[in-house]
Amino acid sequence: MFYIYPEGLSLLRINDKDLGKTSEILKTMKHLLCCTLALSGFLPVFAQNGPTETEVPKDSVVNVGYAVGNLKNLSGLVEQITEKQMNKEQITNPLEAIQGRVAGLTIQKSNNGTAALESVRMRGTTSLTSGNEPLIIVDGVLGDLTLLTSIYPTDIETFTILKDAAETAQYGSRGAAGVINITTKKGIAGKTRVNYSGSFGIAHAYKHIDMLDGDAYRKVAQENGISILDRGYNTDFQKEIEQTGLQQNHNVAFYGGGDNSNYRVSLGYIDRKGIIDNESLKLFTSNMNLSQRLLDGLIDCELGLFGSVKRERTLFDLQKTFYSAATFNPTFPNFKNPTTGAWDQITAASQITNPLAWMEVDNKGEASYFSAHAKLTLNLLQDLKLILFGSYTYNNSEDKQYLPTSVWAKGQAYRGSQRSEALLGNLMFTYNKRFNKHFIDLLGLGELSKETYSGFHTTVTNFSSNALGYNNLQSGALRPWEGTGSYYDEPTLTSFLGRANYAYDEKYILTFNLRADASSKFGTNHKWGVFPSVSAAWNITQEDFMKNLPIIDNLKLRVGYGTAGNLGGIDSYTTLALLRPNGIAPVGNSPIVTYEQMLNINPDLKWEVTRTFNAGIDLALYGNRLLLSVNYYNSKTTDMLYNYDVSVPPFPYSTLLANLGSMRNCGTEIAVGITPLQTKDMELNINANLTFQKNKLLSLSGMYNGEYVSAPEYTAIGGLNGAGFHGGYNNIVYQIVGQPLGVFYLPHCTGLKPDGNGGYIYEVADLNGNGVNLEDGEDRYIAGQAVPKVVLGSNIAFRYKQFDLSLQINGAFGHKIYNGTSLSYMNMGSFPDYNVMADAPHQNIKDQTATDYWLEKGDYVNFDYLTIGWTMPTPSKGLLKGLRLAFTVNNLGTITGYSGLTPMINSSQVGSTLGIDDKRTYPLSRTYTLSLSINL
Amino acid sequence: MKTYPMILATILTFFLTSCNSFLEEDPQNLLPEEIAHSTQEDLLNNAVLMLYTHVGGNADSEGIQGTGRGIYDLNTFTTDEAIMPTRGGDWYDGGFWQGLFLHKWGVNNDAILNTWEYLYRTIILCNRSLKGIADFGVQHPDTDVSALQAEVRALRAMFYYYAMDLFGRIPLIVSHDNTGTDMKQVERSVLFRFIVKELQESLPLLSSERSNWPGEYYGRMTQGVACFLLAKLALNAEVYTDDNWTDGQRPDGKQIMFNIDGTERNAWETTIHYCERLTAMGYILEPDYTANFAVFNESSTENIFIIPMDKNLYTNQYIYLFRSRNYNHAAAYGLGGENGSSATIEVLETFGYDTPQQDARFDYCYFAGPVKDLSGNQIYLDDKVTPLVYEPWNVKLDVSGETYEKTAGARMKKYEVDTKAYKDGKLFDNDIVVFRYADALLMQAEAKVRNGQNGDNELNAVRQRVGEETRTATLENILAERQLELAWEGWRRQDLIRFGQFTRAYHSRPQLENEASGYTTVFPIPESIVQRYSESMKQNDGY
Repeated sequence: MFYIYPEGLSLLRINDKDLGKTSEILKTMKHLLCCTLALSGFLPVFAQNGPTETEVPKDSVVNVGYAVGNLKNLSGLVEQITEKQMNKEQITNPLEAIQGRVAGLTIQKSNNGTAALESVRMRGTTSLTSGNEPLIIVDGVLGDLTLLTSIYPTDIETFTILKDAAETAQYGSRGAAGVINITTKKGIAGKTRVNYSGSFGIAHAYKHIDMLDGDAYRKVAQENGISILDRGYNTDFQKEIEQTGLQQNHNVAFYGGGDNSNYRVSLGYIDRKGIIDNESLKLFTSNMNLSQRLLDGLIDCELGLFGSVKRERTLFDLQKTFYSAATFNPTFPNFKNPTTGAWDQITAASQITNPLAWMEVDNKGEASYFSAHAKLTLNLLQDLKLILFGSYTYNNSEDKQYLPTSVWAKGQAYRGSQRSEALLGNLMFTYNKRFNKHFIDLLGLGELSKETYSGFHTTVTNFSSNALGYNNLQSGALRPWEGTGSYYDEPTLTSFLGRANYAYDEKYILTFNLRADASSKFGTNHKWGVFPSVSAAWNITQEDFMKNLPIIDNLKLRVGYGTAGNLGGIDSYTTLALLRPNGIAPVGNSPIVTYEQMLNINPDLKWEVTRTFNAGIDLALYGNRLLLSVNYYNSKTTDMLYNYDVSVPPFPYSTLLANLGSMRNCGTEIAVGITPLQTKDMELNINANLTFQKNKLLSLSGMYNGEYVSAPEYTAIGGLNGAGFHGGYNNIVYQIVGQPLGVFYLPHCTGLKPDGNGGYIYEVADLNGNGVNLEDGEDRYIAGQAVPKVVLGSNIAFRYKQFDLSLQINGAFGHKIYNGTSLSYMNMGSFPDYNVMADAPHQNIKDQTATDYWLEKGDYVNFDYLTIGWTMPTPSKGLLKGLRLAFTVNNLGTITGYSGLTPMINSSQVGSTLGIDDKRTYPLSRTYTLSLSINL
Repeated sequence: MKTYPMILATILTFFLTSCNSFLEEDPQNLLPEEIAHSTQEDLLNNAVLMLYTHVGGNADSEGIQGTGRGIYDLNTFTTDEAIMPTRGGDWYDGGFWQGLFLHKWGVNNDAILNTWEYLYRTIILCNRSLKGIADFGVQHPDTDVSALQAEVRALRAMFYYYAMDLFGRIPLIVSHDNTGTDMKQVERSVLFRFIVKELQESLPLLSSERSNWPGEYYGRMTQGVACFLLAKLALNAEVYTDDNWTDGQRPDGKQIMFNIDGTERNAWETTIHYCERLTAMGYILEPDYTANFAVFNESSTENIFIIPMDKNLYTNQYIYLFRSRNYNHAAAYGLGGENGSSATIEVLETFGYDTPQQDARFDYCYFAGPVKDLSGNQIYLDDKVTPLVYEPWNVKLDVSGETYEKTAGARMKKYEVDTKAYKDGKLFDNDIVVFRYADALLMQAEAKVRNGQNGDNELNAVRQRVGEETRTATLENILAERQLELAWEGWRRQDLIRFGQFTRAYHSRPQLENEASGYTTVFPIPESIVQRYSESMKQNDGY
């Protein structure tokens, strides 16, 4: 084993011909290097004459929320991802570009590749209600994840990720779950240029659940003397509902400008055809940025517009789709009954339906999004600026759905429309001054925001014809009272922010933020919340004693503490004693709608508060060719907003939204970037990040109105669905005080035992020694957690001349998955109404009691994608300025011990599907994409 | 330089002045409470009629009848009247139904908790309504609100009656702003006396209209409903005044005294009195038993309290037919089915099923053997070849994997099929029968026998209506008659407890250890409630 260093490294001053002399120095370095490199498993091979380009230029100016800073002068943790570091696979949602790239940021893609993201979590789940999704900012426009659908991925210049409280505090309550700040590309002075990028991909399913096929189904029935409905065919319904997925992306951008103005306009189109019949998505986006300098630079004016129109058709009820496809009688044909002209159904299998009939369910969504923003910067003095910013966003979406008579008794149509508007205005002063070794940056901000939400929906049933569906609601005979509704609400938020950033000699940095937020949603005396934060950093590299260690390019210690408020996504008007329609009183002569509170009112609702301590170290060595960043955080959420289960009586309703309880999240994030090889022709970059995360629910009790309120000891979050799983002891994932959010609390199965009739049942252990009882608090134990303890994201990028290669590997470890799919499909008790897995007749289990028998380890390493690209050498003249071709394969494979289809199920979002694989997983699919990018 | 402070001042002023009104909420889609009670009509709607949306229901554990996993199921599937057999992949439901049948329902049963919460929620809503009515009365001294008050008090008494019947020793909450300090259990006898007093005091102020007939008081608490409830309470007085129900002893009904309009009467005399008042009000048996359960049963002379059903208007559901019928059976009617609930072996024996003496009401209440559609054609299974034949005798707790897995058990008939029903048949036009006069006659017969008198007339009036031979009114015959007459009507648990037979063993159900003490005659207080208020709440004996 030996190391080769380039000549350029000043300290070592060695070359590869002189290896012997270097061995001593190397020995001392080896220890340090091995520690850091062990993570990647790669040993660095530095070649000669490499240009010492840095991954992140250390003097680069970054947007740190409202503030604009220089990485050197920052004391908080700010990560910036530029285009170069973004994922190269075919992307539908902009956040997929940074999946696996940021430590502590968990992005869960939905498994069909067409719909939106399932969940995004930064540093875990800190709130029980909602408000766990990071704030998304696009060019100053504040929004949530839906904002992202109107941005075409290629239009993004940088992502700036604010993770620790010291910096997220700038956004007060909105930034409590982290901030992802997206800057879109702007025009560049010079000639007008055109850029096109596009791609075309094909997707296909390659793995399904191994069920009995038609012949085996018949054979098993015959051998066991079970009479079945044999229609004589052999149909694989899992494959019957599939199609070849087709994907295409196109984006054209024009940009240019002069000395005082520049512009960039882009148009994008994304088209997806999913791997299951009828799944499709069409997305049109446009983005326009203009900037103009006025009055000799006194005023800078920036204008931006972006908008999108999305049309999609998605599967209605994933579970019903895949449950039916797997278990529907495989002897049925894949065509309609010629006599009746309809799909044949099996009445005895009441929880499923003919999968091909289900494909006729028409479930569509349309959303249009528009956002305009303007920013005026008044350069009052050289150091003083006044910035005015205003934005308006408008979102209109419509959902429509028709369930034909073949799958829904008498048919049902639903149509709903939602509209939201957000108006935001702020006014900001910034002042920065450098005198001698002192640098000071001050910021003051006032902000008003008003959102308006309104919408309505209606449900119509009893159709005489399936022809018109939701397009003519008069085709349905009946409009049930409860099927129609409308709403309107208008929450407001007022905020003030003060920020001071001080640096002495670029060595010692101190930042202080104070944000005050007031929300209309809280009670009169609880509207305001004040959230301060402070952070400090020490740029050790700037110290004189470090001058002797030139191999260290950057060494920075950071520490911070801050508080953040959270609204927890609560609804408007929850603090007011208001009545809502509770139904048509079924009495008297005429129909009368009566009113009732319908929920427990809590006039004292206030801000949920999260206090976070974080510390970190950034290290860059060898001309920034080895980067290491280690961050630790520890946060405690108190006054936790949650719909607590309360006792009825004294409360009339069983939940109360209140500020009680607390939760702790802590973790360590390690990010390593290595460039072991860097020459004119070759470059190898390895980036890896590991996140160790821990969550603990500390308390779900407290005083409300002078009364002690506590949630029950065991609160079920998720359970199983399907035939024979209605109620009873089918709860799987719980929330239990003293445990991480989402733990498996299950009876223990000691193995299979004969049921006395030739079959087997799960033998449940009597854990507390007083007879077997499956109730909570009896023979159940905490069998593991649903959220991974360790998450890995890594990327290996290699370039040889004009060719490049990028491999993304993600993983998660330390969690478990409940394989409810196998519990259901291995139950011979449900045969023949429901088809079973190919192995089920052999094992002959006739039981579907939920025990830990089907609880499995969820650890996995997934090879997300591999891209091979070719970039045309930059021509000196001619029309063509640049060209790149790439080929991507995604979902190369997964290394896991999990026996179900995939371990990549919901493992981050606390909800009914957390940690439970229950008959709703897509078949595994792979996509092959060819992409092209041209610069003119 | 002077401009900054000015700009700053202007902007700050702008922010601060606008803040307060900017942050106030102005709800446009919800109703402030004071508007909901502003006129007498509003008060009637939102303080009184509002409560009736809770009498029926469309969600699990809500409503007195019609929905699943609530009062009705706890009174029915825990007895020898009905069973929900596990059928392969269907109806195991985590052991819930087997647990009910075997009396192994546990102390953390969600359905029991939800039923408890439903009952107390309606009780608290009644308390709040009473406060709203009282406030209105103070603000409008010239308005007489006593009838409204009486109606709400009587309704609250009815919900307390169900709660007491299921749970025994429970908190008595009567104020509108209760807190955890009210979580004190009162003895069952105290609760019982409270309920009787509330009903007796309300009775004269209630409407004398028929509640089961369309009109202003359709579906509402009227004198007839209150009288029936008082008769029911008095008939079960021995049980309800027994505060120590696991000691094997029970007070004597002849010693339990009630004061009716100044006269002291024992429990049996009281029952007879209120039943006679029903007769005096004009309630009589329908000549045709099935008319009470017809699609249009609004003209029944016999029904006393019903849950009004109108598939086009109301949201109350009736799922019992839906969950009993075989899939193909329901499909033949153009409706849906879940192939579940069945009659027990005991029911078949009581009805003399398949014997020459088979009771006429068996065919009114059950489907057994080959089933025909409404045109009289045989119904077939999915293979279109095998006829659908229910196998009543093959019923048991778990029929999975057996030949008759899908067809074991006699199924529920009772209500006339509404072919125009919606939602798989769960939304139909037949009003749900909660109280009816035949029950009052049987109560009267029983009270007479228990009081040492002759109850033959009342018993045989019920029998003769369906063409059955007369029987002597013995307690044994009366219990059997209640099964024959009131099958599927949700009375079995209460009847078995009153007759001391609830804890006995029967087909598919062995007696639990210690059950002879009678501890299962009340359900456990939901354990989460006991844990929260451990200082003032105690779990029922035996759990």
